[in-house]
Parts: sequence; structure tokens; C-alpha cells
Amino acid sequence: MKSPSIHVQNLRKVYTVSQQEAGTAAALGSLVHRHKIEIAAVDGISFDLAAGEMVGFLGPNGAGKTTTLKMLSGVLHPTTGEATVLGYIPWKREKPFLRQITLVMGQRNQLVWDIPALHSFELNRAIYRIPPDDYRYMLDQLTELLGLGPLLHKPVRNLSLGERMKCEIAAALLHRPSVVFLDEPTIGLDVTMQRRIRAFLTEYNQRFGATVLLTSHYMADVEALAKRIVVIHHGKLLFDGDLSVLVQKFTAHKTIEVQIGDCQADLNQYGEVLSCADGHFTLRVPKAETARVTERLLADLPVIDLTVEDPPIEEVIEMVFAQESP
Amino acid sequence: MNYLRLFVVFFRVSLMGELAYRVNFFVQLFQSFLSLGLSLIGLAVIFSFTNTLGGWRPDEVLALVGVYFLVGGMISLIIQPGMQELIDSVRHGTLDFALTKPEDAQFIISISRVEIWSLIDILMGIGVLVFALVRMGERVGGWEAAIFILMLLAGGVIIYSFWLILAALSFWFVRVENILTVFQSMFEAGRWPISLYPGWLRYGLTFVIPVAFAVTVPAEALTGRLNWETLLIAVALAVVLFIGSRLFWRAGLRHYSGASA
Amino acid sequence: MRGLVELYTQQFKTTTAMMFQYRASLFIWMIGQVLEPLVYLVIWTIVSNGSGGSVGSYTTKEFAAYFIVLMLVNQVTYTWIMYDFEYRIREGTLSFALLKPVHPIHSDIADNLSSKLITLPIMIIIAVGLAVAFHASISPPLWAIGVFIPALLLAFLVRFLMEWTLAQAAFWTTRVSALNQTYFMMMLFLSGQMVPLVLLPYPVQIVATILPFRWMISFPVEILLGQHTPVEALEGLGIQVAWLIVGTILLRFVWRAGVRAYSAVGA
Repeated sequence: MKSPSIHVQNLRKVYTVSQQEAGTAAALGSLVHRHKIEIAAVDGISFDLAAGEMVGFLGPNGAGKTTTLKMLSGVLHPTTGEATVLGYIPWKREKPFLRQITLVMGQRNQLVWDIPALHSFELNRAIYRIPPDDYRYMLDQLTELLGLGPLLHKPVRNLSLGERMKCEIAAALLHRPSVVFLDEPTIGLDVTMQRRIRAFLTEYNQRFGATVLLTSHYMADVEALAKRIVVIHHGKLLFDGDLSVLVQKFTAHKTIEVQIGDCQADLNQYGEVLSCADGHFTLRVPKAETARVTERLLADLPVIDLTVEDPPIEEVIEMVFAQESP
Repeated sequence: MNYLRLFVVFFRVSLMGELAYRVNFFVQLFQSFLSLGLSLIGLAVIFSFTNTLGGWRPDEVLALVGVYFLVGGMISLIIQPGMQELIDSVRHGTLDFALTKPEDAQFIISISRVEIWSLIDILMGIGVLVFALVRMGERVGGWEAAIFILMLLAGGVIIYSFWLILAALSFWFVRVENILTVFQSMFEAGRWPISLYPGWLRYGLTFVIPVAFAVTVPAEALTGRLNWETLLIAVALAVVLFIGSRLFWRAGLRHYSGASA
Repeated sequence: MRGLVELYTQQFKTTTAMMFQYRASLFIWMIGQVLEPLVYLVIWTIVSNGSGGSVGSYTTKEFAAYFIVLMLVNQVTYTWIMYDFEYRIREGTLSFALLKPVHPIHSDIADNLSSKLITLPIMIIIAVGLAVAFHASISPPLWAIGVFIPALLLAFLVRFLMEWTLAQAAFWTTRVSALNQTYFMMMLFLSGQMVPLVLLPYPVQIVATILPFRWMISFPVEILLGQHTPVEALEGLGIQVAWLIVGTILLRFVWRAGVRAYSAVGA
């Protein structure tokens, strides 16, 4: 077995936040004494990523996704716990480590604003000391995959948000990193552009065998990109595994779609009727009884069509978070 | 050597950025001339009432003004923009990008912005300096020139280190732009020979805010006022401050990344 | 009107809390406010001492008084709005201000005044210290002190309106720092910050009198130093009021055009 590309063990990050009450008196008071509280942004999480794996990091705002990502890319020091990425301790920020990773942040940009993106690419070429041949090769690849052609020569400020994001991603990948951290790479983009970026990431992951860890709060991102997901909430790990397993684990119900002649029949004896339109019933049944109910439905009624489905992923996640909220 | 190569690349990129706004060149040209003009008028007014200012003759003060423009140009060419970038990137969180680069983050940040047209100030400063030296009839040999350049470098390092310490304060405090603006007005004090000021102010402008080492000392080197003591102090201070600011930067970075928590 | 009073009180409270948060930078800012007049005070003291104790109509002690009073007047009248406005437009925070049903200048004035109420006591202490150190002498007639107060207030308002109007340039150009610097250079020279205006060549004095700079800083200083007759003082107040009116009209005009330009690009 290969050693994991990313290894995280009991990682914890505690922030000390000073608080100030409103009002002049309180402001004066804070000169002398500041009330401080500790907040655990990441509260003891562990997971491993194999080389070449693509994993989605999921959680509501403030769950600790970005903090974790920053610790793994070496920007932040953890309070306690350990992590290795490609065998390096990230926050030591050793050059051989930094040369093999990259960080993309959907809400920040590193491209120089007033000039064409190509010049910023040149900067990264110099910083990462990319050999000319490799640079040309990667630039060609990225230009093709992302459709950058005409964008490269326009000043960055004249690009749309989506175009800029494509250039940001390209700039971050020129040195062909083997570990890619993406923090909300599709935030604010329209659906088409989101799909485009997703397709690219999958392609990049496969073509170059890079390990990819991305955070997002768009379910569609995660569904499309990552087979495996890691869910955190309030800094704690809730789930780590296949998306389908998550659904299994956190849903006690399945929905049965059944098509019969009309809506006259009373199906309440089989399960909770959620809706009916043109003879198309949607039933919710406890997971354990799914098989039995299906059997009975087929035996008792003139069924035209019947499908058993998991509830939509958004609902599942919502349920997960709802269960865990304090 | 790699540092130099990176600097060249950054410089080229800045130049291209600037060429997109050619108007800036003329704006800067106008400003530089206005600023120099006002300086000269100021001198003219003062020297219309007196022949010497604290032992400095008009041409010597003029040479000082030249050095002032030269050093001011150096500051606004590279030091100030880089430090502004540091402050901005701490606030906007884009410092993360610099931190995930396989080069020294301090270096990357320091050279990441260049105000190309400040070269005008530098050239103008050199022009005024040469003009003043010619008028003084002073013969500047290779030795004096070397000392002058050494002092200029020491002054540059001192100012850079000082600014780095100020800008690195942004790791702890939200708002430090003020400090940079104020430095500008303190630097103005360097237009005049530091020896004019009362003791406490002279001391402050030498060691608290090292304006003296940036402007007065190099000018002294050219006007034959420099003694060995000052020269050694300048070099020593440059070394100490550079190391000190580096340590301070590291402490700031530790604070930023929460290593101490 | 009551709403406005309420606004000013509230703004004052918030700013006070804020200023305490930024006390470090406020203090450093003050060093700059002191240093600039101090530099010129030193220069002119040396020049004056070197030429027998006076330059033109100024004795060494009067130079000291001039620059120390100037320091206080500058402290009362200065604004940082030209930097701030650019920041607001660059960061897009101006949009919030535009949504509010009050003209944004009110919160700026309140902001400005409250920060000064905090710093002024310290400035006065510094001024007294400097006055002792440089043997400043000042003996204004009683009526001059009475005129000084309105002259100072008008100077503040004129400078505020002017700089607020100039700050609008950020609506049209990203190169406001060049404009600001040009303005400050003119200010330095023509408002008497570098040298008392009467010591300048006569044509320059005329230019300084025509332009608004003198009325934003130098004039109140001249009054307190007792350099004007009552009639001249009243004339000066009149000119300040005239600039106030011009400034108000200008501000309204420029602000409207600016907001139109701003909303046109959809920032």
C-alpha cells in the first residue's frame, strides 16, 4: 500500500478572540482589560488521503474547512495535532514542499490586476523555477483544458469573474503541483462556469494524478467531483467516506415514486404520502421497510411505474447538520 | 542570484503594468517638477534672508535636497509599494499566496510592487546633486563617491528595515496605513540638515525614525562632513536593523499563522 | 434638525469607541502633525537668530508663536477625507453610505470633530511645552481672541468642504494620490505652513490671498498674533464666508455629478 499523500491526526486550531462591548465606557474599559474567549475552529479532526485521490470537504460556513485547508497548505500553524502532506510538515513551509502544492482561493486573487494574466504566469514561472519546456507544455495543456486562449492577453481587470477564476486556477497549476488545495473554487460563478471548472478539475486530477482536496458549499460541486467526502461541523469530523454511504447512514427513509392511474387511491397504509400529481405518488417509507412496501404496492395496485430513490443530497446534508447542531 | 533574477522579472511585470497607463508618467513628471520647484523656492526664500543655515552654505543645502530626492525616489520606487502590499495582503488575506510560494515570503512581498515612475525623482535628485556639486567646485574623487554610495546603501537598508517593522505591525493591528502616511511627513524633516534641530529631535530623527542616516549622512559624505564614527555607526545600524526587522517579520508571521497560540 | 443632532451624537459615540481602538495609530499620526510645523519653526528660528533676531516683521519669538499656533490651527482643521474617500470607492463601501437617507458629509464631520476632541488636549499640552522651549511670545488684543474663534471655525468648515469636494475626484480617476499630493504641496506653500505669508515676495502674497489656502490655515493664526486691524479681521471673516458659500455650491454640484458617474459604472 502507498503511503498516504495527506495525513491528518487530531488536528486542532484554537483562536483567541477579544471581545468588546458597545459604548464609550466599555471602550475605555477595554483599554485596561480585554475580555478574551477561545474558539476552536478545528477541533481534533483526523483523516488520510491517498495519492491521486480527490476529496470534497463539506460543511456550513464557519465549520473549519478553510482553517483546515490553510493548515494543510502551511499558512496556519495548528494549536495541537499533526499533519503531513507528501511527507512534509506543512507549516514548516520547506521549499521542496511548497514547490509541490498549490492553493486556490475562490474569493481572493493572486493575479496582478492591471496587466494580462500571462505576465502573472511569468512571475510564477520565475518563482517556481519552472523549466521552459515544462512551462510551455503546462501552459498549452491548461490553455486547452480551460479554454484560456483569448483571455491570456487581456488585462485581468477586464475579465469576468468566471474568466478570472479560470486564469487564477491556471496560474496556480503551472508548476504541476501534486497536491492541490481549492477553497470554494466555484463561489459566485454561474452554473455553466461551475460545470466547466468541475470538468476541468476532474480532468486535471486524472491526467496528472494530483491529489485534490476542495472545499465547497455547493453540493453539486462535491457530487460531481468527489466520490469521497469529509464532512465537518463546528470543527469536528462528522463523516468521512463515500457519498452513498453518507446517504445510507444519515437517512432513515427512502422515497418511493409510484405511478398508478389517478390520485383517487389512498396509499396512506403503505407510507407517508408526500404528494400526488396525475397519479404520480411520492411516498416516504422507513428504510428498513422499503423492500416490503415495494412488494406490497406491486401486488396490491395496478402499478405502471415504480422507482425507489434516496432523498436529494442537499436534504441529507441538511439533516446531518440539523442533528448535530447544539 | 536567484533573488536578482526574480527581481528583474517582477520589475519587468511592473513596467508592463505601468506602460498600460502612460498618463502616469506625465502625472509623475508634473508632480516631481512641482515638488522640486517648491523645494527650490523654499530654499530661495530662506536664503534671501540669510547666507548660511546652521553652517551649511546654499549649495550644500542644495546638494542635500538632491540626496533627499534621490533617497525619496528610492523609497517610493520599491520600499513603500512593497510595504503597502504587505499591509494590503495581510488585510485581504492574499498573504497566503505569498506564503505558499517556494521562495522567501519577505522577499516576494518586498519586491512585488514597483512604482516605476519614481525613477523620475531619482534622476532629478541625481541631477540636482550633480549641479550642486559642480557649483560648489568640490572635487569628488573615487573614494568619496564610494563612501557616498556605501552610505546610500546603508541608508536604504535602514529605511527598508524600519518600514518593514512598521508594516509588519499590521500582523497585530488592523490599521497601520496611518503610520506610513506619517512616515512621509517625518521624512520631510530630512530635507534639512539634521544638525539644525535641537538635541532631542536630532536624536529622534537619527535613531527613532532613522531619517538622518538616509539623507543627511550620505550628503555629509559628499560635503566632507562625514567622520569615521558616523560611517561605522551607519553600517552597524544597517546590519542590526536588517536582522532585527527580519526577526520582527518572523514574529509577525508566527502570530499570523498562530504558532504561538 | 433634531435628527441631525441625534446623528452627530451617535456618530460621536461610535467614533470615540473607534478612536480608542486605533489609539496607537492616532498617536503616531499626531507626531506627524507636530513634526512638520516644528521643522519650519526650527529653520526660521535659526535664520532669525543668524540675522540679528528678526526676519522682516517677525522676531524669533514671534516665529515660535506663529508656528505653534499654526500647529494647533492645522490640528483643528485637517481632514483625512481625501485618503478615505478613495478607499471607500476602491473597496466599494461607499455604496452603503449612498443607501442611507442622510448626506454622508454629516457623519464625516462628526467623525472628524470627535477624533479632534480626543487629540486636542494632548496637542495643547505639546503646544504649551513648545511655547516654553522656544520662548514664544504672543499678546493678542482681547477682541482678536473673540474673532479667532469664528475664524478658526470658518477655516475648519472651508477646509472641510474643499477637501471633501476634492476627494470626489476618486469618482472619476484612480490616480487621486497624485492630485492629493499636488494639493498638499500647494497647501504647504500657500497656506503659510512653510513660511509666514508676509515674508513671501509680494506677487506670491497676492496669489495666496486670492486662493482659498490662506483662509483655511494662515488667517486665524494671523488674527491671534494680532497682525490685523479690526476692519481687516472683519474683511477676512467675510472672505471666509464667501469661500464657505462657494465651497457649498461646488460640493453640491460635484457630489451630484460624482454619484451619477459612480452609479453609471455600477460599482
